[in-house]
Amino acid sequence: MTTVSEHIKVEINEGRILRDVGYDTSCEPPARMKTLVHKYVQNASQLINPVYSYVIRDIDFVIGSNVFVEDGAIFQSRVISGLLKKCEQVAVFALTIDGYLEEAVSHLTDNGLVVHARVLDAIGSDAAEQVAKHVQHVVTQRAHALGLSTSRRFSPGYCDWDVDQQRMLFRSMNGSSAFIKLTDECLMIPQKSISGIIGIGASECGIESYNPCRTCCRHECPGRR
Amino acid sequence: MSEDITSLIKENVIQGRVTADDEGMDEGLVGQPGVTELVEQALADGVSVADIINKGLTAGMSVVGEKFEAKEYFIPDMLASAEAVGNAMEILEPYLTQSGISAKGTILVATVKGDLHDIGKNIVSILLRGAGYIVKDLGNDVEPQAIVEAVRAEKPQFLGLSALLTSTMVHMGETIQALKDNDLRDSVKVVIGGAPVSEDFARSIGADGYGADGFQAVAVVESLSAA
Repeated sequence: MTTVSEHIKVEINEGRILRDVGYDTSCEPPARMKTLVHKYVQNASQLINPVYSYVIRDIDFVIGSNVFVEDGAIFQSRVISGLLKKCEQVAVFALTIDGYLEEAVSHLTDNGLVVHARVLDAIGSDAAEQVAKHVQHVVTQRAHALGLSTSRRFSPGYCDWDVDQQRMLFRSMNGSSAFIKLTDECLMIPQKSISGIIGIGASECGIESYNPCRTCCRHECPGRR
Repeated sequence: MSEDITSLIKENVIQGRVTADDEGMDEGLVGQPGVTELVEQALADGVSVADIINKGLTAGMSVVGEKFEAKEYFIPDMLASAEAVGNAMEILEPYLTQSGISAKGTILVATVKGDLHDIGKNIVSILLRGAGYIVKDLGNDVEPQAIVEAVRAEKPQFLGLSALLTSTMVHMGETIQALKDNDLRDSVKVVIGGAPVSEDFARSIGADGYGADGFQAVAVVESLSAA
């Protein structure tokens, strides 16, 4: 099991934030919004404290939509079982940027600065996504060193993987995700947190390209890849 | 004179400027009075509250809506304008009754039990304020019984419920049931929203409306208002 708390340089792209808050790629946002986004991106690093951990588990077997993991966890999802039946192992991870940024968002909201709050919240979401990319990179590097390949990331709450399956992920991490609290409703606190899995398997099994979105008809899905 | 200041209010709503410190859609406006200062000035000058609202705030938001439809404005621009109108309505609220003007309605908003996500709720709130509604925010992680008590006390026309998780959206149904159990269901229209929620889900729990986004939520409230 690996638990990491390290300084990760999180690169926030201002153009991406402008898109996230609602500007079309085809338009030129007003100067005031570019200035606002620039100001918050410049100052966001002091509100972002990335921490992540992951654990690599063997997959015992897959029956139907159920994936049985070595520690006794069972992942239930047609999409996840479709991936993990091709894998030998699974990396279970959790990460957060900590709670300082969302406290600042609440403070802005309480003061009626909803546009500012929306910008900072988007920065937080983007930062968490950057940390997730870092985790993906770390797990992939480790797999490559062993001659294995990795899949995309998948998180409970997307596709047919129920959000309450986060309990299984946290159980699988066996306490190494203690920097995140999971509520009874499976809400992660701090909220700018991501949990999920990455499949690990032989290079020839094709898991790198496994993408259930290609055959999914939910074209409006925000998680579509 | 009255025309001048209401025109300025309208223009600053279009610019999305709450105070003199704000930049507008156009550059170089910092230092000039924003909607807050102009509304206070208009009241001091004796301009009628009706003129401030109709010729200034509503007229400005109407142009903003047209620009949004035409894709000249985007969500943050609309929010900035709605924020300016919301602030102005707070200033005007004490004068509404004596002027014989009533707000379009009162709406209570809450993120349901177990859920702490509030950005969506806050955006809907600011858009509703911008559209002329009085919005009372009950906060996040609000128990069904607390919502029932607030509906009993505030007697709102609308109740907006928000949830971002499949594990918490079930509490929307519980809240509606709690309203029924307390004989309050018929007194308030319930509109729901949030990423996992759908029209079908709204129907299944007996909600009156569903907003896929903030703008649709306002449109649903407007249509229920007119019904």
